[in-house]
Amino acid sequence: MTAGQIYMLLGLLSFSLLGVLHKVADVKRSRPSAITALLYVWSLVLVLGFVLLRTESGAAAPAAVVTVALPFGVCAAVAILAFQAGVKHGNIATSWLAINLSSGIPTVASILVYNEQLTLVKAIALSLIPVSMFLLWKDKKEAEHGARS
Amino acid sequence: MSSTASSTTSGSRAAAEERDSSVWLRLMLIAFLANGIGPFGLKVLTERGFGDAFQAQYLLYWYCGGLVFAVAALLKSGLKPTAREIGLGALMGACSLFGQAFTGLALSHGVPGHVAFPLTTGGSLFLVAAAGLLLFKERVGPYGIAGIVLGIVALVALSVA
Repeated sequence: MTAGQIYMLLGLLSFSLLGVLHKVADVKRSRPSAITALLYVWSLVLVLGFVLLRTESGAAAPAAVVTVALPFGVCAAVAILAFQAGVKHGNIATSWLAINLSSGIPTVASILVYNEQLTLVKAIALSLIPVSMFLLWKDKKEAEHGARS
Repeated sequence: MSSTASSTTSGSRAAAEERDSSVWLRLMLIAFLANGIGPFGLKVLTERGFGDAFQAQYLLYWYCGGLVFAVAALLKSGLKPTAREIGLGALMGACSLFGQAFTGLALSHGVPGHVAFPLTTGGSLFLVAAAGLLLFKERVGPYGIAGIVLGIVALVALSVA
């Protein structure tokens, strides 16, 4: 196994553990706002350490970088807060997929904003996303109906 | 017996009320949209010519923006974090960062993007779904299984495209 493959495997395990921890946080009745805030505190501490120790320019960055980063960072925090709050109303198996399906949005945005080419594979993949979301919601609806009857 | 049955029924009703599919859908759509917009900043940055030189600094301010929002939400709730939440937050923050860092390292060590992205995305979806079913005893019906399979196919196809 090459170093690259080992890193890829570690990346896969890290992302998977993150998904499982979202569920653990829900099972342990941790509050979504606390989990989101602390996730950001620790991530920021780690990134700050990396930036200060491993980069030449440190935390200094052009204003354009900061003005782009801040609002998009807020969007990501909104996502984590909504996701953590939503997990208690559904399964992690389906919720994790729902949030990961959002990979389609940057693809659509790149096509619309930067005129990137829409290939057949991309078009098929993008059209499968709403179908998948509908099926996940339908599954939840069925489970809820079954629990009530 | 009847009181047990009654409490079980009321318990499952309470669970059903707590696990509301319309609330789940609303929150997941917010998470879906916001999570999709979040990483697009990196594309904007690259198009403006800052992509390579300031990627680490971008990530620093990206997390700053998120932290400001998250702390505001925490203050609004008026609650102090517990020791368990602090520990879980630390683990989750580390997983989020290490996931990105290891994927980046895999790419820089010669693993092509069309291999690394489908494997990390599709693989993590599979592992988390398996953990949900096996560790947390979640039940997923035929619609859910079809949705998971279609979703994994869509994400792997997007990574390859």
